[in-house]
Amino acid sequence: MHLLEPVLLLQFLVSGLLAGALYALLACGLNLVFGVMRVINLAHAELMLAGAFLTYVLYAWAGIHPLLAFFLVLPALFGAGFYLQRLVVERVVGKGELQSLLLTYGLSIILINTGLLIFASDFKAIPELQGALIVGDIAISKPRTAAALLAIALTLGVYHFLKHARLGKAIRAVAEHPDVAMLCGIDVVRMRMFTFGLAAAMAGAAGVMLTMIYSFSPETGADFILKCFAIIIIGGMGNFIGALYGGLLLGVAEIFVAGFVSSQWAEAVAYVLLILILLIRPTGLKGAADVT
Amino acid sequence: MSLKSIAPGIVLALLAVAAPAMASDYQLLFLLQLLMMIALAQSWNLISGMTGYVSLGHTAFFGVGAYAGALLLQWGFPWWLAIFKGAGIALLVAAPLGVLTLRLRGPYFAIAMLGLNEIGRLVATLWVDLTQGGDGIPLSPARLPTLLQNYYTMLTLAVLATSLIAWVRYNRLGLELRAIREDEEAAEMVGVNTTRNKVIAFALSAVIPGAAGAVYAFYTSYIDPVSVFAPALNIQMIVMVLLGGSGTVWGPVIGAVLVRTLHELTWAQFPALHLALLGVLIVAIVLFLPKGILSLAPWRRRVRPDRAPGSP
Amino acid sequence: MKRIHFLLAGFGVGIALASAGVPAQTKEIVVGTSVALTGKYARTGQEQLNGFQLWVEDVNRRGGLLGRKVRLAYYDDESKPDTGAKLYEKLITGDKVDLLIGPYSSGVTLAASTVAEKHRFPIISAGASSSKIWARGYKNVFGLYTPATTYMDQILALAKEKGLKRVALIHADTAFPRDVARGVEASAKRLGLELVFKEEYGKASTDFAAMILKIKALKPDVVVGGSYLPDSTAFMRQAREYQLYAKIFAFAVGPGLPDFGPNLGAIAEGVMGNSQWEPTLNLPGVKTFAKQYEQRYGHVPGYHAAGGYGAGQVLEAAVKMTRSFDRDKLRRALLKLDTTTAFGRYKVDATGMQLGKPGYTVQWIGGSRHVILPPSVAARKTTYPFKPWDKR
Repeated sequence: MHLLEPVLLLQFLVSGLLAGALYALLACGLNLVFGVMRVINLAHAELMLAGAFLTYVLYAWAGIHPLLAFFLVLPALFGAGFYLQRLVVERVVGKGELQSLLLTYGLSIILINTGLLIFASDFKAIPELQGALIVGDIAISKPRTAAALLAIALTLGVYHFLKHARLGKAIRAVAEHPDVAMLCGIDVVRMRMFTFGLAAAMAGAAGVMLTMIYSFSPETGADFILKCFAIIIIGGMGNFIGALYGGLLLGVAEIFVAGFVSSQWAEAVAYVLLILILLIRPTGLKGAADVT
Repeated sequence: MSLKSIAPGIVLALLAVAAPAMASDYQLLFLLQLLMMIALAQSWNLISGMTGYVSLGHTAFFGVGAYAGALLLQWGFPWWLAIFKGAGIALLVAAPLGVLTLRLRGPYFAIAMLGLNEIGRLVATLWVDLTQGGDGIPLSPARLPTLLQNYYTMLTLAVLATSLIAWVRYNRLGLELRAIREDEEAAEMVGVNTTRNKVIAFALSAVIPGAAGAVYAFYTSYIDPVSVFAPALNIQMIVMVLLGGSGTVWGPVIGAVLVRTLHELTWAQFPALHLALLGVLIVAIVLFLPKGILSLAPWRRRVRPDRAPGSP
Repeated sequence: MKRIHFLLAGFGVGIALASAGVPAQTKEIVVGTSVALTGKYARTGQEQLNGFQLWVEDVNRRGGLLGRKVRLAYYDDESKPDTGAKLYEKLITGDKVDLLIGPYSSGVTLAASTVAEKHRFPIISAGASSSKIWARGYKNVFGLYTPATTYMDQILALAKEKGLKRVALIHADTAFPRDVARGVEASAKRLGLELVFKEEYGKASTDFAAMILKIKALKPDVVVGGSYLPDSTAFMRQAREYQLYAKIFAFAVGPGLPDFGPNLGAIAEGVMGNSQWEPTLNLPGVKTFAKQYEQRYGHVPGYHAAGGYGAGQVLEAAVKMTRSFDRDKLRRALLKLDTTTAFGRYKVDATGMQLGKPGYTVQWIGGSRHVILPPSVAARKTTYPFKPWDKR
């Protein structure tokens, strides 16, 4: 086999980046929540699936194209996240990992099984935006490219929002020193609601894209969430933009291992990287927790 | 430790010893699984409940024990020796891993353990010559111990795990472990050898899952990588410990009894609904009963750590 | 001593609940089974359950078994082997069922059949096809499904007939797909086809790009997958993206399910798969069952549903043959029995493995799936070769 042909190597790189972008979109939201309120959200992948099912319902019942559904799903998930934080998650902020792990695990099984009750365990997918653009000899998957563009746009957008917007700065203040932020007159609770809403919207965006990439059922979350944990460690926990790098790195590493070794070993990449990075730098590649 | 404080344990254990005389095979299997969850929850309690280091990958040791037990049985070892060796191998795997991972704090440790469990699963999947890979290992019934033997082994493990917690809790190691949970730097400053203590607790907490894994392989008669390296099993341990009361002796027992009973009550008729209800229950407990059921009980005041026997 | 009461109460409730079975001594005949209603096999488990229930309704309409009313006792095994083992213990010793039907999936069946074997209770397996189940010398497991190792035989024979040579094989890393893969390897060798590529992938594989690029470089004539639904659809979607072409694309499970076409749209066109059974088969009883099922559940039955129904019919035939519910008599009857159900022929070998029932090959043509092989029951002519991506 001519695996070392430059065209093939370039194709691997492109495909890996596209696969990684979907991971990144999911992991960034997870990391945002962790960075701002130190909550590891085990229900994050289920929020993605909520987005996916909402997209599917809009497509199947009203014939709305997923790319249009995007404009309905994003606000819906933002709202859901916003109130989920207010009603439930807010109450475990600052209570330690165990409480938040358990709470979000509870939420995740509620979501999975509500999904099963409504949709059964059939696999759904939307056959839109299929195929690839061929540029030179390189095939660029249409749905994955859309997902990647979205991932990068959303991640950078949220990043700049956190860095420069007033509200974003307030969120960062809440992340770094909630007590001080409160003293400065920032509505800490509201900021966290906003944060969780943003994270849920990003998960929902990943869900919209998933409908055109993979066949999903209410139980598909597990295929993604474990890798996302690895990604946020690789990128640095709480380091928002780090999850983007982490996701892209994992996507590329997986495809090269799958290409040169075997697909089975590709599955180990995430966890081996995770352990190696923790052994070398116990706080992750991009350093200590930091929203920016 | 007063007689009064261990009396309920003795009564429970005696009941469990006598159970096979009254129970059908199915009831025995129900109890066997309950005892397994007690043993596993207590093991998790030992490292995570005591020290606050949240392990999300204790099923790694369960899986190692299950594979070791199944393979040794296949190679002709008697079942009880296979269980011993399964536990021993889990210990041998755990000790160095503990040294490496316990340097990590908080969520880093939790996720590292999650990763180790996945690595365990992948080793079992990829090492086909040894483990038969994803085919799994069906065990020949001729070699398997009887249900009664499995039951009493699991009972022994549950009792051992609970006694271990009781013993650790009321001696110096337990006190130092809880000091680590409250404030690791401070504990170190007052002369607690935190690394040694953590590694000891971690290694001890791996032995029983190792043995339980082997028994699991025997009573199920078939294992494959996905069913023994199962993160969901780990979460169940956590739910039981937290439901009852983390770091306590009886909390995990109560938690396991409640969760398994609830499961038995509702799961048969409403598969998806019962799981959704379990989710609601978990959320409710976190929100309204964050310290577990034992925190409701009036006698709790008597077992405050500062008044525990053996405290300096 | 409040603590004692508290703990004992909990313990007592547990025992009481575990013992709260169904009172026996009613005249009805109880058929016990475990079904995957949650977990990874839930999709197929539900269909199988529908099939069981339809059979129970039918048999009662026909006057029951030996004049006694039939009732189904079933529990959710969560797609987990240990739960399956426990449930068969419950069905046998707790519910004291009269007849047993096996669970779905090879893994759960491997565990559950050990329990049945221990109690010397014959069990009809209508949801497992891994040959390992029948390689253990058990005397009480009787299969309905065509063994997984033979799944791709007709397709490989077709490839041979068309003069194709190069076969690429991919498969998931669990028991059933590995069995399919072993069968493909053996059959390819027997037919003189060259296996140019073979790779296994993990359960969380959502991206097949690397595999597809490697296969593409080898220019295979046939691509065969030992797969389930999500992986087979993801693979085909990416095969189109990377313009991987072969004259035959064939997958286990995926294309045999009704979701395959709607999930993939035009990409599904021409993909082959195998099926244990199809509603369009020209065999006695098939049409009636399919019509009845569709009326009852609102969708066309897949083979898991028919397998469930067929399992009931096999039990019915065995009971009729022996005129009793005696386990030893039933065991002997199930070994000897040669009957045809809505699921097809039932005839096992000395180990209890199914030999009488052929597998069927399906192909997605014009947006729905049709039986194309064997020719005797084909509903449509095979569309061959696979239409190139740039001509679609």
